[in-house]
Amino acid sequence: MNRVLHPLAWWIWGGSIAIAIAKASSVPLALGAVGAVAIVVWRKSENAPWSNSFRWSLKLGVWIIAIRTLTGILIGVPSAGRRLFAIPEIPLPSWMPGIRIGGVVTAERLMSTAHDGIIIASIIALLGAAASLASPHRLLRSLPVMVYEFGVAVVIATSVLPQLVTSSARIREAQRLRGQDVRGLRGWRRLALPLLEDALSRSLDLAAAMDSRGYGFSRRRSKYRPNSWRISEYSLCIAAVITLVFPVVALPAALMALAVVPSQRTLPQELAVRA
Amino acid sequence: MIIFSGVSLIYPTSTKTILEDLSFTVSEGELVLVMGSTGSGKSSLLRLINGLVPHHTGGILAGDISVNGISTRAVKPGGLAHLVGIVGQNPLNGFVTDIVEEELAFGMETLNLAPDVMRKRVEEVLDLLSLAHLRGRSIATLSGGEQQRVAIGSALVMHPKILVLDEPTSALDPIAAEEVLSIIQRLVHDLGLTVIISEHKLERVIQFADRIIHIKGDGQTLIGTPQEILKSSDIAPPIVELARALNLADISLSVRDMRRSTERLRKELQEIELSTPSEPVPSSRDVVNVRKVSLSYGASPALREISLGIGSGEIVAIMGRNGAGKSSLLRAIAGILKVNQGAISVCGVNPLNLHGNERTRTIGFIPQEPSDLLYGQSVAAECQAADKDNKIAEGETFALLQRLVPGISGKTHPRDLSEGQRLALALSVVLSAKPKVLILDEPTRGLDYAAKNSLSSSLSEYAASGCTIMVATHDVELVAELATRTIFIADGDVVADGSTVDVLLSSPAFAPQVAKIMSPAPWLTVKDVVEAIFTTR
Repeated sequence: MNRVLHPLAWWIWGGSIAIAIAKASSVPLALGAVGAVAIVVWRKSENAPWSNSFRWSLKLGVWIIAIRTLTGILIGVPSAGRRLFAIPEIPLPSWMPGIRIGGVVTAERLMSTAHDGIIIASIIALLGAAASLASPHRLLRSLPVMVYEFGVAVVIATSVLPQLVTSSARIREAQRLRGQDVRGLRGWRRLALPLLEDALSRSLDLAAAMDSRGYGFSRRRSKYRPNSWRISEYSLCIAAVITLVFPVVALPAALMALAVVPSQRTLPQELAVRA
Repeated sequence: MIIFSGVSLIYPTSTKTILEDLSFTVSEGELVLVMGSTGSGKSSLLRLINGLVPHHTGGILAGDISVNGISTRAVKPGGLAHLVGIVGQNPLNGFVTDIVEEELAFGMETLNLAPDVMRKRVEEVLDLLSLAHLRGRSIATLSGGEQQRVAIGSALVMHPKILVLDEPTSALDPIAAEEVLSIIQRLVHDLGLTVIISEHKLERVIQFADRIIHIKGDGQTLIGTPQEILKSSDIAPPIVELARALNLADISLSVRDMRRSTERLRKELQEIELSTPSEPVPSSRDVVNVRKVSLSYGASPALREISLGIGSGEIVAIMGRNGAGKSSLLRAIAGILKVNQGAISVCGVNPLNLHGNERTRTIGFIPQEPSDLLYGQSVAAECQAADKDNKIAEGETFALLQRLVPGISGKTHPRDLSEGQRLALALSVVLSAKPKVLILDEPTRGLDYAAKNSLSSSLSEYAASGCTIMVATHDVELVAELATRTIFIADGDVVADGSTVDVLLSSPAFAPQVAKIMSPAPWLTVKDVVEAIFTTR
């Protein structure tokens, strides 16, 4: 069996690249980094419920870009530049100078809003990638016992999220069978109540289970298969830190992860995946 | 090992006393069954043993509980982790890690055991519960029985002296349930483990129990041997019901003993010509029509070219092991799942094209969690919403609910209802639209015998009005009681389809208790036997 990298290494890696993207604020760099990260996720992600996080974060990213662009077109300060098209402008009272709704849309305005959207989406994608590569639960287990109370809270909070997704699909389905189209404000209420109830009771179950298994009782905890820091972890983190210092090299550094991590799939399997 | 002395329990938000002045002692190596109707406080009693109640849930506790000499008042649940292993009702909710092996190690890690001790214990438990081939698997991909075994394993690695199990087989098919229970029995016999278990499906566990704690719901509690308790209890498995109906002096708890004590009777009955009770076969079976339907999730097929026809007035039970494709078939028929190949029609319409009121009047669906259907803040609000949705006279849904389970207050919040009452509420919401086809997915999970009987009679009544009912279930006794036809699914294929008597009798694992006792006579329920004896005498 191949060694699994320390979860903290993956999170430092993902976090640093995300910060680098935010600092560099360059669309080609952000897209390149996300592309490189996508390759790493494809090659290295765990076979666990969390491994879909990256895909979900990409979907979320697309929404963010769309919404950011849309609001950018509708609302904003007038900016000079090449005129693309115009939408009717809603007159606002005189005490709100500098803000307008509608009006002329310039290429520059469109570019800058899309730019912001892509940067935000890339950062979210990076965090999703880290969750795919090392589940937050695994990360949490390597936290020191000092912060165990905090740890319990975080496990509950994070385990709610994927459960919310599956529960909401299930409840939406049930409501549709009741002849309800779950849309609009009324539909949202019908979804939210059973959803919250479900998520809360599941989380309480988890907390009770952890409590009765002695979580946080002992001040020290040992590690089954101790997850030590070795050369791969260090090189992964160094690669990530380099991206922080020189944002320009984010892309090659992200790709370095591929070279650093020992291959988990053998060649025939890989070919099968490609086929 | 466990001493309860004068224990009473009240939850702060409730006016009802859950337990009142309960005293008993459980000694080492005993297997104690806790029984009682839903909402009577079984889970609370189990969680008292390791202090989850009241440390985790709140509540006012009087009296004292001592576990191996330690008072649960003084110690938090974590302090008893090495002594008491507890497995909750839904093990999936209690898993902390994603991988089987890590899950087993989790508890030991928190107790700071040395890595080599952990490795040894994990190997032991993997072998003991035959989980070795699953060690690297993601827990979410395991079947229900396997998950239950992992949950039991992660309690056992701590080498506890007491194992507490809350309805360990309620979500399992009969075969997986037997696997789990035989492992538990082996642990009791080989390791001298003390086991406290709660279960609604008494027929599955009664033969293993040394003693029974019967929580009556009104604060009263009875403790005694199974024979003592079952002689007069209002909750009884079919085997005991049969003994009572036949006026046998002794109550036997296993099929073998019961066969011995009914030997003469069976011989007498054998000499008389037996007529197999035959269900009328409907003239046409085209209310639900499934033609060569295939469905797969990714690479794994869930249904393979299934063809079925179901007529009006039929009550069809869909049986099979966990993951056999029962839910997939029902969800495809209900129009929630799109099939890859083949065609489905319900009342001549493709169910995917049904919307709004047309849908509710054609198909009613009760999902595994009936509460998914509910969103109201009170029972009355829920019923009013159903009236409005289905455009029927106000109060009709509530009247229907009162007929199904009398005595529910309209002001109650749906969450505070018992499992059976909540199912009845969901059922009346769905039935108020008078659907032509009613589909239920695993309705008896967590239901006691009384709730099951009332469900069974209201479904029979509904089918008699000319509607079709399909039920996916693991509960053989319910199938024996209710279904006119049984379809058996294995690995996405229909392997048996016929009258309930024929299908259930031909499979030893899925035969109900009464059928096992009275075999080869074709009777499935106590009622069948009593009727047969009545007509022959």
